[in-house]
Amino acid sequence: MIPQKQAPGVFPFYGEEDRGPRKRSGPLAGVRVADFCWMGVGSVATRLLADFGAEVIKIEDRTRVDMPRRLPLYKGEVRNYGQQDATADPNRGGLFNNYSRNKLGVTINLRTQRGRDLAEQLVGASSVVTENFAPGVMEKWGFTYERFRELVPDVIYARMSGYGHSGPHEHYRSYGPIVQAASGLSYVAGLPGREPSGWGLSYMDNMAAYYNSAALLMAIWNRRATGVGTEIDVAAVEVGVSLLGPVVLDVTVNDHTTQRPDYPTGNRLEHPQAAPHGVYPCAGEDRWVAIAVFNNDEWSALLTAMGSPEWASGPLFATQEGRFANQDLLDGHIAEWTAHYDPHTVMGRLQAHGVRAGAVQNPQDLNEVDPQLAWRGTFFEMDHPVIGPARFEGFPASMSGQGPDHWRSAPLVGEDNAYVFGELLGVDKAEIDELAEAGVI
Amino acid sequence: MTVQDHPLPLGAPICDGLTVVEIAEDPAGELTGKLLAQYGARVTKVEPPEGSPTRQIGPFAGGEQTPDSSLTFWYYNTSKRSVKASLPGDQEMLDGHLRDADVLILSLTPARQRELGVDPAVLAARHPRLVVCAITPFGQDGPWAGYASSDLVALAAGGLLNSCGYDDHSIPPIRPAENQAYHVAASFAHISIFLALIERQQTGSGQVIDVSVHDCVAVSPELANPYWFYPKALVKRQTCRHAQPSPTQPALFSTLDGRYVYFALILGDIKPWQNLIEWMDGFGMAADLTDAGYQEVSFRQANFPHIQQMIEAFFMVQDATTIYHEGQARGLPIAVVNSPDDVLEDEHLAARGFFETVALPDGRPAVFPGAPIRFSAHPAVAQSHAPLLDGGDEPPPAK
Repeated sequence: MIPQKQAPGVFPFYGEEDRGPRKRSGPLAGVRVADFCWMGVGSVATRLLADFGAEVIKIEDRTRVDMPRRLPLYKGEVRNYGQQDATADPNRGGLFNNYSRNKLGVTINLRTQRGRDLAEQLVGASSVVTENFAPGVMEKWGFTYERFRELVPDVIYARMSGYGHSGPHEHYRSYGPIVQAASGLSYVAGLPGREPSGWGLSYMDNMAAYYNSAALLMAIWNRRATGVGTEIDVAAVEVGVSLLGPVVLDVTVNDHTTQRPDYPTGNRLEHPQAAPHGVYPCAGEDRWVAIAVFNNDEWSALLTAMGSPEWASGPLFATQEGRFANQDLLDGHIAEWTAHYDPHTVMGRLQAHGVRAGAVQNPQDLNEVDPQLAWRGTFFEMDHPVIGPARFEGFPASMSGQGPDHWRSAPLVGEDNAYVFGELLGVDKAEIDELAEAGVI
Repeated sequence: MTVQDHPLPLGAPICDGLTVVEIAEDPAGELTGKLLAQYGARVTKVEPPEGSPTRQIGPFAGGEQTPDSSLTFWYYNTSKRSVKASLPGDQEMLDGHLRDADVLILSLTPARQRELGVDPAVLAARHPRLVVCAITPFGQDGPWAGYASSDLVALAAGGLLNSCGYDDHSIPPIRPAENQAYHVAASFAHISIFLALIERQQTGSGQVIDVSVHDCVAVSPELANPYWFYPKALVKRQTCRHAQPSPTQPALFSTLDGRYVYFALILGDIKPWQNLIEWMDGFGMAADLTDAGYQEVSFRQANFPHIQQMIEAFFMVQDATTIYHEGQARGLPIAVVNSPDDVLEDEHLAARGFFETVALPDGRPAVFPGAPIRFSAHPAVAQSHAPLLDGGDEPPPAK
């Protein structure tokens, strides 16, 4: 049993009778969000608000449920991302559960006038509105910042998109890899002289989401102080360019083009000139360890940890410049040594000598081997009526104030219609039944 | 209606009035400070007399290394002021700054916190309204808290690196460049600070935030964790496209001008398929793909390698930007793989006024990326150049 620092990462399982809305705790308790978001960026952005106590009411269309409900991440069944099962239960999707925990869920058909009226009623009872549709969709429904301000004078309206709500490419279609390609983030990753390796994930779905969460929090903080609401426009491509880092200035200040055969540099680091600085093979199938040495002290420590090998004794590797200039040879020696051990053994032995080293951990390692994440309780579990118990990625910082309030897994389709339309908006039972009958909710 | 041409009168910058002290020896804390300074917070960087170690990291302007020529330092420290303090000796001076501050960013290893005498809990106890945001490689405590790290090590241990690299698995996983582990940590520090400030509006009290770079990376590999949580599948890296449980078709295509475009054809959707074939047919390059059989998804799936070859040939006769704009005009999610040089010339970013010109110390102008969050009710703040090492200290706030 790995020791744990905090309240255990396993939260009580809630049975179905316990899934009803409750008073929330956290710094955002009392903030109600009319959440039109879907897919990745928007859902992850508003999940943060829901984690910290906001009443996030996710609006779905029963006839076009949120895509992550349909993406095939199911327990007991391995399918690639693109291999969807059109007949699957929309309440079974793991990715939706992951993205929409702690939110309430309602269904409204926004292609009907009565649906749009109901949505406006919900906006009127909220103080934050969020959306990440393609530009033009909200406008088509008559949902503009001006309209929302009529309903809620100090409303915060967050608009999250790939390219932003102006400019010649405003309507371009995007998802993570498109944003990464267009913003330069794919180009800067790879070995010299071949195609970029880029990203094996939608990095920019996460990063755009995190920036949108931060933007919403800044706006909420400012409104509490000044009473002023705001519209927010975050373009994922602009977030992406802002994450390119100092290489941009090497181009703009030094006129040093990145369109050159020795760029990018793979795992090697030019600034500062670290060496060894790479990812080395370990025992086992496709197992690796990362090692980074920045100076002579770290080099000496590495040699001690490796048992002072003969090959390292000559003048070739005696200085950081020498090691940097002779990396092909150096990397060969290091790889020969690491290949005898599993990645965590190398990591442990090098770290014991103060050398920067990390096993290339896969998700199984993160969940079952990594003692630090277990100590911090970073991952946690909640039950779900269809999926059963599931793990979640928690908040990666611990706060001495109020932490996250994990109260429920993701809503079933329309699970909170009765509470939101009935109790919050005061629509009577007969009308709710009639709206359901008419396909409005 | 867009944020840019909104008729509302613009008020103060959104972080106006916020006072921040930053002690940072890595890009995580420095970017956190920049994310506050960019929106109007008054950020004071506390450096040792010889300058922050981040001033030693290249590339250097004009290739000449001085404490004031590091482009890495320039990038992460725009719009800040700087004061020199020799810690732990100058504790009183630091306290003087903290008395008037709302936020302290500490981006140091736990060992360096001890050396400098800046224990987050002690400082928070001494300044009850202060939000102390401590960013460390693995967290303040725990079995790995003393471990040494770097951007590469953090990406590896946090699991993100496991998804990145090439189809050829004799090549190791390849690091996405330019400090992304630190960037992820900065975004969570940014979020945490505002959660704490909102809480302080209700309680009057500050708090200690313990941001672990390792945790930040570990919760951010996108699909890799859910693939483990649900089907218990480990995704495997593929060249410049999503790591998946089993291999998929390549998504990078070479173009006539020696560049690449990214395009992942989703076979299950008929509309993009029709748009693509119509486009190819216009060039007389659709060949047999117009056959009726391809209207069936199962037939497209069975012939995917052939389809890929046809797309490869089609993109090989056009240049990358033409493919990007024409494909997008036809509703296809496709993008050119832009280099940083290309991004600087991008017409969309230019039209949105994203890039800013910052006056360098010698008066020359240089182009910097601007602030990526736009508020209709709050003006953007023009970036000013990173502080010079001997730019003239300002006295600490009056006691």
